[in-house]
Formats: sequence, C-alpha cells, structure tokens
Amino acid sequence: MEVDRELVEAAQAGDRWALEELVRRTHRSVYTCALRLVGNPDDAADVTQDVYLRVVRKLGGFRHEASFSTWLNRVTTNVAMSTLKRRTRRFAVEGAAVPTDTRDPAPDPAERAEAVALARRLERLVGELPEGQRQVLVLRDIYGQSTEEVANAMGLTPGAVKVRLFRARERLKADLEAAEGGQVVALAGRRRATGRRS
Amino acid sequence: MTNCHSIRPLLPARAEELTVFEARTRAEHVAACSRCATESAAYSRLGQALSVMANLEIEPAHGTLERVLVAIGRRRTGVTDPRVLAAAGSAGALVATVVVARAVRARRGRPLDRRQSRPGVRHMALPRRLRLPNVPVPAPALARAK
Repeated sequence: MEVDRELVEAAQAGDRWALEELVRRTHRSVYTCALRLVGNPDDAADVTQDVYLRVVRKLGGFRHEASFSTWLNRVTTNVAMSTLKRRTRRFAVEGAAVPTDTRDPAPDPAERAEAVALARRLERLVGELPEGQRQVLVLRDIYGQSTEEVANAMGLTPGAVKVRLFRARERLKADLEAAEGGQVVALAGRRRATGRRS
Repeated sequence: MTNCHSIRPLLPARAEELTVFEARTRAEHVAACSRCATESAAYSRLGQALSVMANLEIEPAHGTLERVLVAIGRRRTGVTDPRVLAAAGSAGALVATVVVARAVRARRGRPLDRRQSRPGVRHMALPRRLRLPNVPVPAPALARAK
C-alpha cells in the first residue's frame, strides 16, 4: 500500500476529496490487517470504520516522520487491540476471500509466484493459530513491527512476545508441512487412481 | 559442536533477533548438521512467505467502504490542526466558566426567603437548586454523531 505524501497533506489541509481517496486506496489493507488480528470479518469491518474515525481525528498530528502506511498500521493495531479487549471471543476466518497481491512484480517472477502461492496457503493456517500467538505473529512477521512495539500494543513483556512468537512459528511450520504433506499424499493417490483406471 | 537440542530454540528466530554469539553458534551448527539445516531452511521459507503476506489484501464485504465514507463524512469537522482544536477547547472552557460564574452571582444576589425575613425566627439556609441562565448548551460530540 503506497500513498502519495501530497494526498496525505491535502487530506490534512481539510480537502474532502483527498481524504476519501485516502480511504479508497487504503481500506483493503486496513481491513486485511484488522481481519488477521481480530479473526472475524464483522469485527474487522467495525475496526476498519473505527480506524478511519480515529484517522480523521489524528491526521492533523501526523508529521510524516514515519510513512503513512506504517502510521496507519499502528492505528489499526491499536484499534484492533482495543476491540479485542472489549469483545467476547468469536473466531471464524473460514470463508475469507482469497487475498490478492498488490506489490509490484519482483525481478524473478517464478520465485515471486511461488512465494505468493505459499502466502495464500499460509493465510488460512495463520487464521487457525491460537489468538495470542496469531496476533504476535501477524504484527511481528507480517507487518514487521519490533518486539517492543508488539509488546506495547498487546500489553505484554518483550519476553512474553518472544515466547509466543517462537511457539507460533514452530506451530505454523508444522501445520504448513502437514498441509503440504497432505497435498503431496492426495496428489499421489489421485495419480495412482488415474493410473489404475487407464 | 553444540547439540541439536540446544540449537532448536534458535532455529525459528530471525538473524536480527539473535545475539552475535547465538547467530554464530547457529550458523556453525547448521553448517555441520543436515537435519537442522533443513529445519532452518524451512523457517527461512516461512519467514519470506509471511513478509509477502503484508502485500496481500483481502477484499472486505460489499458496502464496507461506503459505510466508512458515510461515517467519516458525518464525523468530519474540516478542522484538523491541533492548535485550532486547542484554541476551540480553551474558548469552550472560558464560556462554561462565565456561565457558571453568572449563575452563582445570580443566586447570591437573590432576596432572602420570606421565612428568613420574619423577626425572631432563624432558619438554616437550605441549598437551592442551581438555576442556570437560558443559554444553549453545546451537544456532546458523541450525541451529535448519533
């Protein structure tokens, strides 16, 4: 998600069109981050709305010290965490739409395609992680926040973040291997069945 | 060489999460142990795929964008400069102070109760309900949004 500085400045100056354009360009990314953190499409839509209400309030104070997308990610994280503290546990990522890639094509298209395919498979597996592990993994490994930032956002100690992160990565790797092993077995079974028929 | 058991907790970590000593110990072990090298490669692949996920977007349910635009249109004041907002807040506080001061002064300046004016009978002054002058009270932002 890349946002022009001019657009942000125009929105800060009170340009209504610029603000709406900012929302149009960034809302998918905010929704995706919210969904990964709260794990529920309805809550993610509520978080998305609350994020932009907060953005409208705080945009005047944004000083371009970090990129707008980094700032927006932090706002999303804070709103999502506040929502999670309020709501009862409801979790259902199944049925989430297939994610689409928004990044510019990489120098090696084959490698890039493989990484994107793997990332799409991971989307479901990440959603199946226990809530605490999932949030830490999403903030640290997907959105690249530092351990301290994650600890602050989640009200944990950096040590607790590291422990959850270790468990999340270990479990995700095991789940991925099981899923890929299952796929290989299924594919081999299908090939054997086709061979017997022919 | 360090054994696999002691290296295992270091395998999922990214390079920048390890101390120089831990990073060197892991690298030396992985170079010599094919099993841990496979594990380490799997974690690297996982890390790369997770970082790619930051650029994958999920389309929100139909109507989410419109809902957000309506909400911010309702809430937007057009004033975003914190200095202007601070000045507006101070002005509001000043108006509230003046209103309360006038109300208190009006209460003190009112004539005594008829009961109190009777000679020989002393009454204790009872607290009266504060009557504010008929000034329009600004509605809170939350109520306006609703």
